[in-house]
Amino acid sequence: MFNRDTWLEIANTVLSHPMRTFLTGLSIALGVFILVVMQGLGFGLQNGVKNQFSDDAVNSIWVNSGRTQLAYHGNKPNRQIKMRNSDVDAMFNQMDTVNAYSRRIRIWGVTMEYEDQQSNFPLRGVDPDHQMLENTTLTEGRFVSRRDVVEETKVAVLGATIVEELFKGESPIGTYILIGGVQFRVVGAFDDPASRWENKMAYLPFTTAQNIFRSNDKVDQIILGTGDLHIAGTRALTESLLSWFKDRKAVHPDDTRGVWMRNNNEEYERFQNIFLGIELFIWGIGLLTLLAGAVGVANILAIAVKERTKEIGVRKALGASSLSVVGLVVQESVALMIVSGSAGLVVGVGLLEIVSPMIDHEYFKNPQVDFRIALVALTILGIVGIVSGIGPAIRAVSIRPVEALRDE
Amino acid sequence: MIILKDLRKSYTTGNQKLDVLKGLSCHVKEGEIVAIMGSSGSGKSTLLNILGLLDGFDSGEYMLAGESMVGLGERAAAKYRSKFLGFVFQSFNLIGFKTAIENVALPLYYQKVSRKERNATAMEYLKKVGLEDWALHLPNQMSGGQKQRIAIARALVTKPKVILADEPTGALDSTTSREVMTLLREINKEGITMIIVTHEHDIAALCDRTILLTDGLIV
Repeated sequence: MFNRDTWLEIANTVLSHPMRTFLTGLSIALGVFILVVMQGLGFGLQNGVKNQFSDDAVNSIWVNSGRTQLAYHGNKPNRQIKMRNSDVDAMFNQMDTVNAYSRRIRIWGVTMEYEDQQSNFPLRGVDPDHQMLENTTLTEGRFVSRRDVVEETKVAVLGATIVEELFKGESPIGTYILIGGVQFRVVGAFDDPASRWENKMAYLPFTTAQNIFRSNDKVDQIILGTGDLHIAGTRALTESLLSWFKDRKAVHPDDTRGVWMRNNNEEYERFQNIFLGIELFIWGIGLLTLLAGAVGVANILAIAVKERTKEIGVRKALGASSLSVVGLVVQESVALMIVSGSAGLVVGVGLLEIVSPMIDHEYFKNPQVDFRIALVALTILGIVGIVSGIGPAIRAVSIRPVEALRDE
Repeated sequence: MIILKDLRKSYTTGNQKLDVLKGLSCHVKEGEIVAIMGSSGSGKSTLLNILGLLDGFDSGEYMLAGESMVGLGERAAAKYRSKFLGFVFQSFNLIGFKTAIENVALPLYYQKVSRKERNATAMEYLKKVGLEDWALHLPNQMSGGQKQRIAIARALVTKPKVILADEPTGALDSTTSREVMTLLREINKEGITMIIVTHEHDIAALCDRTILLTDGLIV
């Protein structure tokens, strides 16, 4: 169907009205351009937010405590709820399975010294699963281990900023560092590009940190991994844990501050839904723009067919089959779509390629269009081309040579 | 070559039924050159369209080169047109954005002849009508007579058995008309049957015989 002769035919007819062809092509190219750029922007937004999320594991539940709002069981409101080691143990005891977990305490501004360098950094006492739950990427050494927690070893895992400031780029592994005046052996280093804040952090074994820097049995936060538990399962788990905790700490069931939990699964799902919405919106706009272009092409083709009534009649008298007449119109439409659509695609992708490196925002990263979307766009163009060609083509076929050839 | 028996055709416009052909019978032998004459409204254009398989008919028999043309579909009609018939029109009907040689080669394109062979054959026929030097010109760069000769070359290129010409000289001056008629006669001498619709007596006089149509009947 697409041989050299057909192409020459198409080129001939298309180029015989250059202005008209150009304008039609422009509307299609513009449609594709808008589709591509919008996709790129949506993708950039998605990348940015996903990057924010990469800070924490998606499949986790965070348990926090605060001040109560409501009076309950003889307790006045505004009571500070404290989670203790015994609460954590009791919670794990009443759970069927504990997938992954980390208790967590946080100490602000602790002096850290190495040789003649010293500076203040925050630190956290954590369990081994914290690495997975917080998505910490080690650059060197190892993370806090189970044995460290059990034996209360004095080891530390340092963030990239600390390593840079205290060690001036040298490897800290195996060296000894003073944290709050106590000597710790550095066993690991990490770099979390998603968060500058995270990189100022030192991780210590939970028990060690609690004994040295807190000297009480309070726990600031508990993080539970939910593994591959389904979203509904995580919701049920969050709910049962919450009511169990409220009951244990004598917090009113309707109180939302005394004990509260964040289910990252749900948060992530919420974002995913937002992205789905944005994606649908973008496709909707893009497709409607294309549709407007397609209507334009159908219009132009209808006019062209009307103008060429006589010519089509002559062709039929000279032996053109109905199929070849349909082919003439539809192929012209598809060719116009593909050529101008590709132009829009190239310009759109090019623009994104140029602009992409210039944009670096927390919530906006790498606004690019992947190859698949380009393919989908071209396929849609092809289909739209055929569809918008069909109406005019049917008209062209129904032209009877007798009427076309009648001399007025 | 062409046998018509009691051919009838009517058009319906609104509630009115208009009988155009009221039972035509005639016989055109192979190699004849025949003029069809008649006043306007006598049905000569309708007859030519039916002969050219561009229009159907209501009843009767039409035999072309020994095959019946009764009740042909669109596709079959297109096939017979390209196999047996060549057309020459009053207003030439060349395709404006195609060169002379492309116009002549077009019927061969629809017969799926290869490009090379097509162009060679088209050139041969351009020579025959004496316009080989004009092969790459567009129709609007040529005179009426030249255009009609291109159209004749186009009609001949598929080696048809019958050429149907609708007022071939209608748009030409008398000198050019004569030239075109001479060309048509030469082609006729090679054995191609020719039917020419005209209202000019001197053109009809150049044919073997004349069929005169009056009110849808042969007189």
